[in-house]
Amino acid sequence: MGLDIVVCIKSVILTAPEEQMLRTEDTSELNPFDRPVLEAALRLKELHGGRVTVISMGPEASLSALSEARAMGVDREILISDPALVGSDTLATSTALGAGLRKLVPFDLVLFGVRTADSDTGQVGPQTSVQLGIPFISMVKSLEWQKDVFRVERVADHFLEEYEVATPAAFTIHPGAFQPRDMGLSGIGRAFESERVERWNLADLGLMPERVGDAGSPTRVLSMKRIKETKKCEFLKGNAREQADELMKRLSDSGAIGA
Amino acid sequence: MDSILSEKHRIVRRSVRSFCEREIRPIAGEIDREARFPWEVVEKMGKLGYFGIQAPRELGGADLDSISYAIIVEEISRASGSLGLCVTVHNSVALYPILVFGSQAQKEKWAPPLVRGEKIGAFCLTEPNAGSDASGIEATAVSDGDAYVVNANKVFVTNGGVADICLLFLKTNPSADRNEISVVVAERGTPGFVVGDLEDLCGMRANPVSSIRLYDCRLPLHNLLGCEGAGLKIGLTALDTGRMGIAAQALGIAQAALEEGILYARQRRQFGVPISKHQAIQMMIADMGTLVEASRLMIYRAAALKDSGKRFSQESAMAKLFASEACGKVTDLAVQIHGGYGYSKSYPVERYYRDARVTRIYEGSSEVHRMVIARGVLGK
Repeated sequence: MGLDIVVCIKSVILTAPEEQMLRTEDTSELNPFDRPVLEAALRLKELHGGRVTVISMGPEASLSALSEARAMGVDREILISDPALVGSDTLATSTALGAGLRKLVPFDLVLFGVRTADSDTGQVGPQTSVQLGIPFISMVKSLEWQKDVFRVERVADHFLEEYEVATPAAFTIHPGAFQPRDMGLSGIGRAFESERVERWNLADLGLMPERVGDAGSPTRVLSMKRIKETKKCEFLKGNAREQADELMKRLSDSGAIGA
Repeated sequence: MDSILSEKHRIVRRSVRSFCEREIRPIAGEIDREARFPWEVVEKMGKLGYFGIQAPRELGGADLDSISYAIIVEEISRASGSLGLCVTVHNSVALYPILVFGSQAQKEKWAPPLVRGEKIGAFCLTEPNAGSDASGIEATAVSDGDAYVVNANKVFVTNGGVADICLLFLKTNPSADRNEISVVVAERGTPGFVVGDLEDLCGMRANPVSSIRLYDCRLPLHNLLGCEGAGLKIGLTALDTGRMGIAAQALGIAQAALEEGILYARQRRQFGVPISKHQAIQMMIADMGTLVEASRLMIYRAAALKDSGKRFSQESAMAKLFASEACGKVTDLAVQIHGGYGYSKSYPVERYYRDARVTRIYEGSSEVHRMVIARGVLGK
């Protein structure tokens, strides 16, 4: 039987944009928070069989992220791309991904990275799960398939919570939970041999343009400025003991150490 | 630069770099100090395909193009020159000639374990009295029934201490009127096959460079690669590709030295500012960056020519000459930027400086390369 797992991935921008955001293959790569997620999915597949599909929404430059996933060993790649999607905020993105995922029903599991390295909202995973109306658990540290349910652990502050979840379910994976595998050279060679990424546009998803892109986005980023952090170096006075005492006091007052 | 690379090349670089950063870079200084061949890492490299980069799929290889090959050697050498050397020699001058000149049976026998990195390959040409002048080879193979009886004294064999499959350049059935150089494959463990002491080298210390001697060693006649007398052709074919690997190795070392130089120049403060603010240091960094980038372009050009099936000997010779000499300058400047600390074992640049030196010597010295290049430029 095996597990049918879908992983939502994103191609992120490597360097912070100075003025206009220009996405090319040179400047983008697979979101680093998605790599442990792919690892989690591939390990489940190795243990229980089945298949792993990746789905991504983004411009053509996102193809490299899909190829990278393919080099790691996924079975099917889908790119959701449409001019009408430009300007989508997290809600519109979740709407598009949700529509894409509905086309992939039935599946057992949808996985997301906790967040993306270039926008950092952490909203797409939970919002998409709400769109689909399936149970969602965030920051999953470990997961185990037990015939018809998943047993998962999630970290919450200093607690480890344990859940039993029915399928289909959606999780975000803790970035430290799985060390992503190294890609073998053969895998990379094969991943680029033939063009096999499936492309879906809005019509394929059955979505109206007003639900996505600028039109379907209730939020808008008005401006983006680099924050300059200034570092101040201060020399503590007195003998070694006095300096140490002063340092301890400041660290504990600032909450960096202590109870 | 990146525009001549495809997305595949970028992913190859990204994945090899991430492996090297995690597995090789942290131990590079230690394996140099201890002159230790890190089998534990080599095993992992084998599983990822680093020992069969361009070998065909049916033999278990990754079947990648020459640009990918150059990128992989560069990235490994950026972390450890010694391991870059191991990989390039294994791939280009041991495995590659077997793939090009070997019979189907020979390929099926020797290639798969080499491709998996379970067996390491070596190229044994240099002798005490032969190197740049290959015709001075004194090693002999005399046929006797179904075997050659081989006597040879091969020196400075890269990977020698760990190699299982060795390509021996020798004279087959020499006589007054016959003086043909051939290649016969010797497997470690054959009676009469002796691995000599490891060389105590200035750089590349984690590579077990040794002598390999054969005393009345009986090697089956079917271990002959190609035909009798094909030795020079096999050697030249191997070295055309090998040069590109050594150039990529030099590039990787230079790249590491450049990065270390930049890092130090930004941290080190003199006269109240980071030394990177001083024009004298900026001039050095500018030269280093330019040399590195020019080397990279020459190497990729040679590799791209090879990938498109065009002649690339001249270009690969130029790339090797330029990249190895550039590497010498770049590592020297990196030491200079570090000042006294650059001359100490506390910083990695002294290792790059030592490792760089031999890239101008092996797989054709700078002088031999100039000779070859001049012949091409002058038109004989």
